[in-house]
Amino acid sequence: MRSLETVELTKSFGGVTAVDAATVAFQDGKVNALIGPNGSGKTTFFNCVTGMIRPDSGRASYRGQDITGKAPHRITRAGIGRSFQLCRVFPRMTVLDNLLVAVRAGGLKAQLTSARDRAEIARARGWLERMGIDHLERAEARNLSWGQQKLLELAGVMMGDPETILLDEPAGGVNPALLERIAGLVRQLNQEGRTFVIVEHNMDLVMGLSDHIVVFDRGRPIAEGPPSAIKSDPRVLEAYLGV
Amino acid sequence: MPSGSEATRRAGGVLRLAALLAGAGLLLSFPALAPNPYILSAGITVLNYAVLSTAWSLVGGFTGYISLGHGALLGLGAYGTGLLITKAGLPSFVALAAAAAIVALLAVPVGFAALRVRGASFVIVSIALVLILLLVFQSWASFTGGSRGLVVPRPFPDLTRPEHHRVFFFLFAGLLAAALATWWAIDRSRFGLGLRAIREDEDKAQALGTPTFAFKLAVFVVSAAFTALGGGLYALWFGDLDPVFQFSVLTGAYMVLMALLGGVRHLFGPLLGALIVGWALEWFKLQYGDTPLHLVATGLLLGVVVMFMPDGVIPALSGLLARFRPGEASIREVTAAELPASQARGPRA
Repeated sequence: MRSLETVELTKSFGGVTAVDAATVAFQDGKVNALIGPNGSGKTTFFNCVTGMIRPDSGRASYRGQDITGKAPHRITRAGIGRSFQLCRVFPRMTVLDNLLVAVRAGGLKAQLTSARDRAEIARARGWLERMGIDHLERAEARNLSWGQQKLLELAGVMMGDPETILLDEPAGGVNPALLERIAGLVRQLNQEGRTFVIVEHNMDLVMGLSDHIVVFDRGRPIAEGPPSAIKSDPRVLEAYLGV
Repeated sequence: MPSGSEATRRAGGVLRLAALLAGAGLLLSFPALAPNPYILSAGITVLNYAVLSTAWSLVGGFTGYISLGHGALLGLGAYGTGLLITKAGLPSFVALAAAAAIVALLAVPVGFAALRVRGASFVIVSIALVLILLLVFQSWASFTGGSRGLVVPRPFPDLTRPEHHRVFFFLFAGLLAAALATWWAIDRSRFGLGLRAIREDEDKAQALGTPTFAFKLAVFVVSAAFTALGGGLYALWFGDLDPVFQFSVLTGAYMVLMALLGGVRHLFGPLLGALIVGWALEWFKLQYGDTPLHLVATGLLLGVVVMFMPDGVIPALSGLLARFRPGEASIREVTAAELPASQARGPRA
């Protein structure tokens, strides 16, 4: 099935074209990686496809449905979850409430019922347990360590039950043991049928984890393919090393 | 499974209910205890402040959008009520309800424009609203009475002044109860959790699927309705309106101060703030008459609150109390050695 796709997606800030007519297709059911040098437009691309930024031109679609310029919550409800580059949680809320925010409820009546629904709490605890932070459910998120906050953010994204998950630098500032755990979680969730698109600078993680890699340079894809092909692609080496 | 903590929680609930009933009893016996009509009218003023600051905290507290423009909604509620009685000939309380409904409707386009901007921009837009309306209501004297004021007929012309005060004390108490009940109902709902998420990190809330704009607009409309009811009830009670006092940035600033002082994260925070600030304002006026000293004190108090008690009096006091309780276990860090063990639990979602 078709997953997340863009056609000629463009976004400029002043005179800088951050994303330049990028046409990209990610593979459904796979772990996709989006790599590229700093400033190559990866995060702006993420922000455009998740509705945080409105692109200047071009289109984004998900499973054949046009999502260009839609509000972020609509894109989330279409099945795309995302994490942020510098991990973002709700600092003054408990760990459990951080997850309950992501509960999808339609209609006025559902919105006015108690936020602490037993079934949803049980589901949230399931995700916290899976991330290994269930013992912290009553703690305020700001009191968690950086690594724990990363896991909390992932648990929050999963609470929305997305089919496709966009992770912006999941390995940023994370110790090797935790990195191994995050990689393990991504693998498991992918085996359960969820698609991933990961922006990451840690090449060991990218090469070990992903099935399909898209390389960005100056706002547009310059190469794509499986890790083995990307490793030896001269255009990629040039973009990264300038050789 | 009944446990010690469950029993403690139940005891806490009973205590809280007892405190609530005692507080309500004390409030309702105030008119009987007040030694003279002046004290009673001061009590009404404080209750009115409590209604307004609780209504303000529906927006300012839940979403963190600091509005200095609630004075505009207050003024519209007051003038709406007065004009519907004097120009349209509606009965007093029908006019009050109609004015609140009109203000709630007006809050939709106002919120639509104002809630698009965040932070300082929102504050400035909200102030602009008050100033624009002040100019309109001052200049349009043929309709609003302008600076000469608008006299609002009393709803109960047969009552003596003390009886009039007593009735309005209970009316304001009822309105306050409704505002508090609304705050409570929103706080425990999914809607309320979404609003609190907006206060913490609006982009993140949106990324998790919260329709942030619709939520902000909805709570703004509810807040506007209560603010207008507070203004309208004041018009019926006081009977004389002047644009300078009705459309005042200062009133908006009082609402902010009261809510922040008491604590916006607590149901009774704005009420407590209104008790303190309302009482202090009356005291300053009595002691120093028509000097701007009460404004100096208000400014100082706001500075102290923001610097030393950013969460308000209630959390500051409960934090102080917590120091004397046996300490809870601190948050446990996960060590590297624990990681493979918890990961080995496998999928279970």
